[in-house]
Amino acid sequence: MRTGDFKQTYGELVTLVDSPPAWLWSAVLIATLIAAPFVLNSYALSFLIIILITMVGTLGLNILTGYTGLISLGHVGFLVTGAYAYAVLVSKYQMHPLIGFLGAGVVPALASLIVGAPSLRLKGLYLAITTLAFSFIINTVILEARWLTNGARGISVQRPEIFGISFDSDAAFTWLCLGFAILTLLATLNIRRSRVGRAFVAIRDNDTAARVMGINLHAYKLFAFVTSAFITGLAGALYGIYLSFVSVEGFPFLLSIEALAILIVGGLGSALGAVLGTILIVLLPEATRLLFSLFSAQMDAMFTTGAQELKSMLYGLVIILFLRFQPRGLVGAWHDVRRMWVNWPLRY
Amino acid sequence: MLYLIQLLISGLAIGAIYGLIAMGFAVIYKSTGLVNFAQGEMTMITAYIAWTISTTVSGNVFVVALCAILAAVVLGLVIERVVMRPMLGEPVFATVMVTIGLAVILRSSINFIWDAYPHDLDIGVGRTIVRIGAIGVRTGQIAVIVTLLALLAAIWAFFRYSKIGVAMRAVAADDRTALLMGISATRVHALAWAASSVIAGIGGVFFALSYDLSPAMFQLGLKAFPATILGGLDAVLGSGLGGLLIGITENLAGGYIGSGMKEVAGFAMIIVVLMVRPFGIFGERDIERV
Repeated sequence: MRTGDFKQTYGELVTLVDSPPAWLWSAVLIATLIAAPFVLNSYALSFLIIILITMVGTLGLNILTGYTGLISLGHVGFLVTGAYAYAVLVSKYQMHPLIGFLGAGVVPALASLIVGAPSLRLKGLYLAITTLAFSFIINTVILEARWLTNGARGISVQRPEIFGISFDSDAAFTWLCLGFAILTLLATLNIRRSRVGRAFVAIRDNDTAARVMGINLHAYKLFAFVTSAFITGLAGALYGIYLSFVSVEGFPFLLSIEALAILIVGGLGSALGAVLGTILIVLLPEATRLLFSLFSAQMDAMFTTGAQELKSMLYGLVIILFLRFQPRGLVGAWHDVRRMWVNWPLRY
Repeated sequence: MLYLIQLLISGLAIGAIYGLIAMGFAVIYKSTGLVNFAQGEMTMITAYIAWTISTTVSGNVFVVALCAILAAVVLGLVIERVVMRPMLGEPVFATVMVTIGLAVILRSSINFIWDAYPHDLDIGVGRTIVRIGAIGVRTGQIAVIVTLLALLAAIWAFFRYSKIGVAMRAVAADDRTALLMGISATRVHALAWAASSVIAGIGGVFFALSYDLSPAMFQLGLKAFPATILGGLDAVLGSGLGGLLIGITENLAGGYIGSGMKEVAGFAMIIVVLMVRPFGIFGERDIERV
């Protein structure tokens, strides 16, 4: 009798989904999400849109931080570059939205090449510091380059129309974001199970050993960084379209921290973790607000005045508590539960 | 010429503040091997506590200074004991992420404990202008440079001659061997956090004395990063001097190129330093054995 989790061929080890029911459930989930805009009111729909966009960005960061084990504190820099690239190309120069999206990926990728090339040669936390620096430099650059970016005035962005399909309504825009989210998810899952993804994970787990195995550390780290910036840039473009206005203020530094919090809460190095973490973190401030408003109206008022501060406090707390008590994140907890369910009444 | 000298002096003064905070980074990095991303926030909290004391208890300079130092010690010890010590032995990635989480919490706590408006730390010193020839210098600016130099000398002597200083260097060099020699690593870590909090806190109070106090003050920590990278992450004295260099560079860039450059000069410098001499001017090159 087959018990437990057997893998008999290498092919089974790298399959996208290891059990047929998972395909069914994924299809059901996607169908539900496609139907969601018809059912949800606009308030709930805005959360769905935010979750989908955040998911794209977080999956991008996951390639760098989750798979390759490098911390970036400046991913908001790529987010804002992507948003501006899209806004400049589409709103200012009236290019096709698809070219805009391409630019939203390519421009941050080029920027990441400039930041990454010097800092990725080094071990340790240097990337965290240089990316932090980058996210501040890029804001100044955007504010100074008025001829291109309108400086502090920002650029307003219309919802796109691609091949005759207008994404103007909230429902249509949700589908656009859903499409991007699914594509990104598939892309990251496929990267993870390819030669490149295995190299990333090898670098994360032990870079000296990886190098001995013949992995070019500098090239692969740079590749992870550029890919990550590309995807994050796309998320930035989507977020800019969602806000319908691109400015430096729309992309506060807190977004970098939020993305890291999502990865840690979800479970580092797992695409499923990034998805679960996104859902939890995006809904967390709202959930906390609801919880507190049950107790007193004064608490509720505090949430409206200090929303940003409370959010950052929550993110900080969540980061610290998860690292301390559940370092494997929600995915780790889910695996534990699943194992218990399958093996009960045995421990394992 | 006068403009240049004026820029140099104010660069030195702000650079001394960066230097103090950068020394805070280096003290923690040297003894625990981790970059404390909450350094700027700790600096800010100390400055705010100093301001609270000056407005509620007494405006006397010595009282404020003493209380601020005590507060910084307590802050450092509490953070080490409550947040950092449970993470002992965890991978660097996790501990660094914890300091980032801590940074965000401390940063937003300002708005709840105090408020979002800028304040003046006015205890009657530091704002008088002394004239040397045609150049006006504030006493606070002179004081911060002198403090930095004094602290540099004191810390050099501490690491060179005192038993605890040698113990800290031992833990930094090889914590396992240090443990075998009977040095308590946890105690050294606690001491490092307290010391770093005090050194950076002094910088914060001086900043509040000559400029003002606002919830955006945590950015001092970001400005001090270039200083500690330039001086060397593991070089306490180098970081202090790196601060002076960064302060001057920033002011010259701001004065001659444009005000936007002032904000990013330090960060641009990080990237240059990492390309040319990644371990900093005074840092030790990492040699890794397989």
